[in-house]
Amino acid sequence: MADDSDEERSAAKIHQNQPYDESLEVPDAEEIASTYSPTPRVPNPAARARQTLQQPGRGMSRGDSPPRSDLSDGSDDDDDDDFEEMKTPTVAKAPSVRPAQQQQPGQQQYNSEDDDDEEGSDSTEDDDEDDVHVEGAYDPAEYDNLPVSPEIKELFQYITRYTPQSIELEHKLKPFIPDFIPAVGDIDAFLKISRPDGKPDTLGLTVLDEPCAKQSDPTVLDLQLRAISKQTMAKQLIVKSLDNAEKNPKHVENWIESIRDLHRSKPPPNVHYSKNMPDIDTLMQEWPPEFEDLLKEIGLPSAELDCDLGQYVEIICGLLDIPIYKNSPQRNEKIQALHVLFTLYSEFRNSQHFQALAEDNKLDNDLKNDDYGGGGMGDEDRLVL
Amino acid sequence: MMLSRMKPAVGPGAATGPSKETSKKKKFPKYEDFLDIRDYTGAITLLEFNRASGKGNDETDMWIAYCAFHLGDYKRAMEEYVRLTQKKNCVPDMWSYLACCYFFLGMYPEAKTAVDKGPKSRLQNRVLFHLAHKFNEERQLMGFHQNLQDIIEDQLSLAAIHYLRSHYQEAIDIYKRILLDNRDYLALNVYVALCYYKLDYYDVSQEVLAVYLQTFSDSAVALNLKACNHFRLYNGKAAEAELKSLQEMASPSFIFARDLIKHNLVVFRGGEGALQVLPPLIDVIPEARLNLVIYYLKQDDINEAYNLVRDLEPTTPQEYILKGVVNASMGQEQGSREHLKIAQQYFQLVGGSASECDTIPGRQCMASCFFLLKQFEDVLIYFNSVKSYFYNDDAFNFDYAQAKAAVGNFKEAEEVFLLIQSDKMKNDYTYLSWLARTYIMNRKPRLAWELYLKMETSGESFSLLQLIANDCYKMGQFYHAAKAFDVLERLDPNPEYWEGKRGACVGVFQLIIAGHEQREMLRDVINMLRNTSNPQVEYIIRTMKKWAKDNMVPVP
Repeated sequence: MADDSDEERSAAKIHQNQPYDESLEVPDAEEIASTYSPTPRVPNPAARARQTLQQPGRGMSRGDSPPRSDLSDGSDDDDDDDFEEMKTPTVAKAPSVRPAQQQQPGQQQYNSEDDDDEEGSDSTEDDDEDDVHVEGAYDPAEYDNLPVSPEIKELFQYITRYTPQSIELEHKLKPFIPDFIPAVGDIDAFLKISRPDGKPDTLGLTVLDEPCAKQSDPTVLDLQLRAISKQTMAKQLIVKSLDNAEKNPKHVENWIESIRDLHRSKPPPNVHYSKNMPDIDTLMQEWPPEFEDLLKEIGLPSAELDCDLGQYVEIICGLLDIPIYKNSPQRNEKIQALHVLFTLYSEFRNSQHFQALAEDNKLDNDLKNDDYGGGGMGDEDRLVL
Repeated sequence: MMLSRMKPAVGPGAATGPSKETSKKKKFPKYEDFLDIRDYTGAITLLEFNRASGKGNDETDMWIAYCAFHLGDYKRAMEEYVRLTQKKNCVPDMWSYLACCYFFLGMYPEAKTAVDKGPKSRLQNRVLFHLAHKFNEERQLMGFHQNLQDIIEDQLSLAAIHYLRSHYQEAIDIYKRILLDNRDYLALNVYVALCYYKLDYYDVSQEVLAVYLQTFSDSAVALNLKACNHFRLYNGKAAEAELKSLQEMASPSFIFARDLIKHNLVVFRGGEGALQVLPPLIDVIPEARLNLVIYYLKQDDINEAYNLVRDLEPTTPQEYILKGVVNASMGQEQGSREHLKIAQQYFQLVGGSASECDTIPGRQCMASCFFLLKQFEDVLIYFNSVKSYFYNDDAFNFDYAQAKAAVGNFKEAEEVFLLIQSDKMKNDYTYLSWLARTYIMNRKPRLAWELYLKMETSGESFSLLQLIANDCYKMGQFYHAAKAFDVLERLDPNPEYWEGKRGACVGVFQLIIAGHEQREMLRDVINMLRNTSNPQVEYIIRTMKKWAKDNMVPVP
């Protein structure tokens, strides 16, 4: 039995291996092996002989799974059996394989139940042959000529009795992870709004259609506008707040800087008078009608008046109910009075209400500059000059 | 400029505009002054101030809308136009303008409705043209394309479509043609630079860009592009420096391109802050989703990455690549052939495309494709062509070394395997098993054995033992084969292991006799044999001892 199967194995082997003799492509070989493997039971002694001879030398490439089954099979089969099988190899090197190849078709038809067994042994040999091809693999033939006792030589056969499994290792692709991708935005598609005044716009042509980096601070600008216009508007002032102010010292500084500028551009908000001065609203009250009438006739004293500047200041301030306190410690009583005078002037000038009135009056009464405080202010204007 | 926005910025029921207040009138600085320097924030503040002082009229509203639009505050502009279009005597142009606002807000259906109410105009055609692109309506697109005229705005609009469709060379051609006759159209240089950037010609992009920056050194778009070029040419740090200079130059109220800059800072900082910044930007900045996917991949959070790309219909190479990468990762993790097949197809698509086949990612794609197909000779062709870019890249080396080992080039495989630094990869069984095999093939079985010794006991360490046992055996490295079988046999008294051990021990004996191994090993061999209780043991040991005695080798 043992003999038989040996032969059959070899027969099987022969044609199976040939196509792959020179190749190491394990997976393919495996597939093909399973298709072709059946073979066994070749009652052709010649073929047998050849095969047995060929066993060791022939390069087989299909080292793969089958060996495993073989191993387990082999283990019960036991040693003697295996030994025999082993011995044959050492006998001779393999000659040509062709004859076997030619037999292939015929052999293929043999589908035997012994497959397991045969497949097993096949692969055993396969692996041996495999070794021949793998560079540096173990080749028992190298040690054939060791000067050892027959006992040891017999022992050596244990080496080829075990056929190492060919273990297929999994490949794992570590997919490359692309770099992070910065965004550059898209190109101006000229889907844009043109100027309401119809003037030509070159945004997106001579210059990118993007705001400049230095945008006004809306809150600051709003404050400035209020300051310039002197308007008190119902519009609420947007109170600006900064997120993460502690992390944005630059923003805080900018804010402080711009508010400082704002204040610098405004007149100092108040002057500390050394004595009480009437408040501006009081000074803006209308004169008694008699006085108004008189002024219409004689006008205010002009700078042509034959007096020095100090006296003139006293006259005008007197007319406008602005006190000039004598004996102030810094001897600046007139300056303080003048400050009140100019504050009054600017108040009139910037007051929308009075301007409107002045215009109206001018139309209606053909008055010149000299009605109300307006008249006085004209004078003071000159005075300032 | 962000034409690729997908996420509508405004839902139904948007906030109402600022309340109008009446007050007294009067005006001072002119808004034209603000417009000249493109200080739209200033202009709006002034215009609003006027409006609040009761001096407002339709024209003020239109100017505010105009300013808001060019400031990039499309929502604000839209609100103005919605109000303007609701008036009785509305100028029909307002509808086209409203459509523009909707377009930039990513509200394409609304844009379509609005633009249809507008008058027939070149602007209308351009909007429809771009809408057709957004809606992927190729036939309509061609129709509107036909209607474009040979005027600069239309041509530039067409170039923008080329750009969006990744036809960068066509876009460049248009820009260059216009520049020939209009040297003073400096902005076109930036457009050209954007195209070159997309074509990966970063240094050319820099050069062209410099022309513009010379005149407009505070341009956010140009500086951002410069930063991106630096990122590609140098590193994130250099790129960040550019953005920093922009941030320093800009006033606090400068919010244009803020999202873009926030997004890119995450990119330049290698993903720092990704989870805070990127999620709200998904579908606002097209790259945000991709970067979030990349971030998750880097964190090994495959599921999150997968969720983000699952429904993404890829159009750009980067999107295809990421779909491929995510599917590949998913497939390997779950062992799903389905995912791997999809991945392989995406990789093939990108790697085989005309535009990507010669880029580094394109080569990586092709290599990955062949890797999944287990065609390692081909894998190596592609890997070899780009390996100089990835000398220190663990993932690359992981794949590269496997491919080298797979084709039997174990010498180089070993070198590459040893370049890998990541502990996670070094503990991956794929790494361990392939490195062990590589060692054995390179006749360094001791190193393979050490790999085993360092492992925790597990199914994998058992597999590694089997590998070492059998590979060593095959290669005639019987000593380590014997050691491995010895352990295997103790873990699992399978007769197969005994056979292996028996053969390996005899193999060592043979090597000793042949003078290929040290005689002292015989002692270890005999000890190992004794670990097995099998009648053959005594016979073998006896034979060995006899030889030892004859050859004066001390044995136990």
